Amino acid sequence: MPKPSSNQGKEPALQVIWTGTISFSLVAIPVQLVRAVEPGRVSFRMLHSRDYSPLVRRMICPKEEKIVPPDEIIRGYEIGPGKYILVTDEELESVSPERSRTIEIVEFIDMKDVDPIYYDHPYYLVPAKGGEKSYRLLVEVLRRTNKAGLAKFVLGEREYLVAVRSMAAALSLITLHYSEETLSDEELAPGEETIKAEETARMKKIISGMAADFDPDPYADERRKKILKLLKKLAKERGLVEAPAAEEEDQEGPADLVAVLEESMRRAKKSR
Amino acid sequence: MAGRTLWKGTISFGAVDVPVKLHAAVREERISFHLLHRRDRVKLRQQMVCAYEKAPVPPEEQARGFEWEEGKFLLVDPADIERTEPEESRTIEVHQFVKTGQIDPVFLDRLYYLEPEIPLKGYIALLGAMREMDVAGICTWTMRKRSYFGALQAGGKILRLNALRHADEVISAESLDLPDIPLAEKELKIGGDLIAQLTAPFAPQKFENEHQKKLQDLIDKKARGERIAILRPRRLKPTAPDKLLQALEASLKKVA
Repeated sequence: MPKPSSNQGKEPALQVIWTGTISFSLVAIPVQLVRAVEPGRVSFRMLHSRDYSPLVRRMICPKEEKIVPPDEIIRGYEIGPGKYILVTDEELESVSPERSRTIEIVEFIDMKDVDPIYYDHPYYLVPAKGGEKSYRLLVEVLRRTNKAGLAKFVLGEREYLVAVRSMAAALSLITLHYSEETLSDEELAPGEETIKAEETARMKKIISGMAADFDPDPYADERRKKILKLLKKLAKERGLVEAPAAEEEDQEGPADLVAVLEESMRRAKKSR
Repeated sequence: MAGRTLWKGTISFGAVDVPVKLHAAVREERISFHLLHRRDRVKLRQQMVCAYEKAPVPPEEQARGFEWEEGKFLLVDPADIERTEPEESRTIEVHQFVKTGQIDPVFLDRLYYLEPEIPLKGYIALLGAMREMDVAGICTWTMRKRSYFGALQAGGKILRLNALRHADEVISAESLDLPDIPLAEKELKIGGDLIAQLTAPFAPQKFENEHQKKLQDLIDKKARGERIAILRPRRLKPTAPDKLLQALEASLKKVA
């Protein structure tokens, strides 16, 4: 199986999205959830046109036109115009206390049985201190059996159904869609029209002539090359601008995989 | 019910042209919260803020830049980017066919259903041939001024188009640099037996998103002014490395 290409030898900074335990039966392994996807090598950032400082997404109080620090933010469920039920992080964690810090594998499945429609977003689990050996065991056993563990866990406002499998020496965690989220394809099917067997045979012949091994690298390289070529030309023409150094700020906010993802993309670009 | 038509195009390779319509395959529904200012319960709004001045920046003062090296940018305006953008086209161009098992799930991004358009013959032949051969068509297309990389797949009754993540967007497992810890063959054997005992067919219908209902209950309770009991998250004690074999044996006994 082709492996995803490494990112030109540059070590991505591991930003921890979640810390907890993954368990199966009586074995519990302390782990951290980290990202498996980062924006492509060529991506753009929003800048302030006056001082060339990068822009960041922040919550603003419209009354004061000021940035609101994370500890002054609370979730509200709207029950009427301007009327909200406030919900704290602790209350949210109390909804499923057994799942907010534990990924409990309830059963194992064959990866080949999973319809790709269920795959949502990939992450990695990495072992936390003391968990290295049992982590290694789970990776190796999953690899040998080509199985994945199914579990549910809660992060922020959402409960995720996930499949945990091995990928090289790591545990790969993929969030899955719930089956109630998948749409029916019944009414899109082409119906009962029959075609001659030789038409399928002819199609198979064309497909055989185009058979290859899956290698995603050339497609990524081509895309990158095209944009870089233009950027190099532009850089020669007009030169670069420099951003002023900004102070780091505290970013502890309500947990949400999507928000964390945005944040990690920001950092990924920064660390490039 | 499948969603509305998102885009129309033609699958194309060799002398084959198969017209199709794209539909969404997944619809997520969830309870959504607003973020409020704790003090005065004013609804907050997300805005772009200057990292240096720490102040909101109006749209007319926002620019785009490519980070050449840390802190140094090449200013790029939308007209520049358009020069690299692919021509609008209606073609899903298939470049090669690969065994479906070769595409690691880590690459799989959004999936679309493909509805056939008249004439149906090509669609039916392609679907049948791909299913029998268990292959996926690696393809590229342009949709809404963005170029996509994807895999054409044979679903049960219809063709599907699965957008793929680019290779340079996926962090390799090797780069995590995980330690190789020796394991006893006995540990692996019992671990394998345990997993075999706990294996079931993949039945996603079994897993409901109960959390949405529980969340709704929480909101209803609070709306009635009831107090919410704060429960501490369950934390499991990690299995010590020297107790691993013991834990595996006890697990196996439990399930056997």
